[in-house]
Amino acid sequence: MSEKKRIPVVPSRLKLLNEEGTEGVLLGVRCRRCGEHFFGSVVFCQNCTSGDLGPVELSNHGTLYSYTIVRRPPDGWRGNVPYILGQVELPEGPHVLSEVVDCPLEGLKVGMALELALLVGGEDAEGNEIVVYKWRQAKP
Amino acid sequence: MAVKPQREVVVLGVGLHPFGRFPEKDLTQLAQQAVVEALKDASVGWNTVQIAYFGHVYYQGMSLGEATLRGLGLTGIPIVNVENACSSGSTAFWQAYWGIATGLYDLALAFGAEKVPKGPVAVTAEDSPERLIGADHMMAGYALRARRYMEEYNAPSEALAQVSVKAHDNAALNPYAQYNKTFTLAEVLESRPIADPLTLYQCCPTSEGGSAAVLCARDAIKNFAPDNGRHVTVAAAALATGTYSVRGADHPALNPYRKEASDQAYEMSELGPEDVDIVQVHDAATIGEVQQLEALGIVPRGEGWVATQTGRTRISGDIPTNTDGGLLAMGHPFGASGIRMIHEIVTQLRGEAGPRQVKDPKVGLAHCSGAGDVTTIHILKK
Repeated sequence: MSEKKRIPVVPSRLKLLNEEGTEGVLLGVRCRRCGEHFFGSVVFCQNCTSGDLGPVELSNHGTLYSYTIVRRPPDGWRGNVPYILGQVELPEGPHVLSEVVDCPLEGLKVGMALELALLVGGEDAEGNEIVVYKWRQAKP
Repeated sequence: MAVKPQREVVVLGVGLHPFGRFPEKDLTQLAQQAVVEALKDASVGWNTVQIAYFGHVYYQGMSLGEATLRGLGLTGIPIVNVENACSSGSTAFWQAYWGIATGLYDLALAFGAEKVPKGPVAVTAEDSPERLIGADHMMAGYALRARRYMEEYNAPSEALAQVSVKAHDNAALNPYAQYNKTFTLAEVLESRPIADPLTLYQCCPTSEGGSAAVLCARDAIKNFAPDNGRHVTVAAAALATGTYSVRGADHPALNPYRKEASDQAYEMSELGPEDVDIVQVHDAATIGEVQQLEALGIVPRGEGWVATQTGRTRISGDIPTNTDGGLLAMGHPFGASGIRMIHEIVTQLRGEAGPRQVKDPKVGLAHCSGAGDVTTIHILKK
C-alpha cells in the first residue's frame, strides 16, 4: 500500500523541498529573448511569443498589490470563511493570487511585504495532502 | 484590422425575454420568446433568415440553438452555438454582423439566453486546483480591482456604491429588469458584504433571460422588410482578446484597461469617445462601470468615480450609462447580456425608451467583457 504524501497543488508552480511540505519554492519560466518571467508554465512567451524559455525559481516574497476579504467562496474551497485573498507582486514581475494567512484584517495594507507560507489546503482522491502556496506578513 | 466591411449592416429588430428567475421555463423557451419578439420587431418572417448564432455559456444540453429554433420551423439554415463567457451574446452578434458585412449572407439572427446557477461564479471546473487556491472567484477579482483603484485614485467606497444606486434607479423604469426596487446609498453600502469592498448590491445578480437581434445588409432591406424608419446602423463591430499584461496572467477579471477592441471600433466607425451619446458597459460589479468608462476614453483615467458622483452617468447626465439598469439591476444572464445591451441602444436611438429615454442620442456604444479576457465593442448610430 502506498504511503500518503504531501504534494504540491500545481507542480508547475510549486516545488516542495521536504517531505513535510513545509519548505518549498515557487516555480516559473523566463523568456530568454525578452526577459519576462511567468508564474507556472507557458508553452511560448506570452509577451513576445518566443519559444526560447527556461525554468526559473521565483522569489518567495513579494508586495501586496491588492486584497479582498472573501465572505462567500465558490464550491471547492476547503479553507476558512471568510478568508483574505491577496494579489501579490513578485520582484520578478508576475502577480500571484492566493490566501493571506495569520494577518488581522486591520493589518492589511496595499504595499505591505509578504512571504510565502505553505499550508495543506485539501486532499486528493488517494488521501494525499495537497500543499497550497499562500502568503503571510514578512518578518521584519 | 485586416478585414474591412464590404457593405453597411443595420439592425432591423430586437427582442427580449424579461430578465429574472423563471423556474417553470427551460433555456430554449427563454431564447425562443426573445427571437419571436425580434422577428416581429423587424417585420421579417422566420423563413427568410439565412443564418443564426446563439450565445450561451452553461451546459444545459447539446445544440441548444437548434433546439430553440426547431419550434419556429425547420428551414435548413446553419445554426451556430457560441460560447465566449459573458461576451457570448455579443460574440454571436459580432459573427452575424461579419457574416453580412463580408457578403456571405443578407439577413442573420443573433440571440442569447442563459439560466445562471445561484452562488458565486467561478471560471474553472469544481475539481480544479484553482478552487483550493481560492483565487477563482469572479467578484473577488472585481474586488481586487476596486481596492487597488481606491488606493491609486483616492476614490471613496461611496462613489462605487453610487453606481449601484443609479443602476437600480434606471432598472425601476424598465419592465424587463430583474429588479425594480430603488436603493439609497446607505442601503447599498450596508447590504451583505461579498468580497470587500463590494457588497451584495454592488455585484450583479445571477439571472435568467433571453435577447435577440435581426441584422440585415442595408442594400438588401427591401428584399425582407418594410422601410419603417426604425433601422439602426452598426457603425463598428469589434472582438478582441487581451494582449500581454503581467497582471492578467492568472485571473480573468483583472484587466480593467483593455483597449484592443475599442481602438478597432473607433477606427472602424471613424467615431471617437467624444461622439458617444449613450453607453452600455460591462458592470458585473460597480467598479467595472467606473473603470470601463476610463478605458473607453470617455472620461480621463482615475476620474470615472467622479463622473458617477457628480451625476454625469445618469440618464439626465452627459454620459448616460447603463440606462436599462445594466448587469447590476437589469440582471446578467451571461449569454443574453451582450445583445441586451444592443437592444437598449437600438431602443434609445429609435427614441422608444419611454421613461428612460435619453435626450436625442445619435451614437451609442456597447461594451462587453468576458472571462478568458474577451472584449466586444459595438457602436451603433442613427
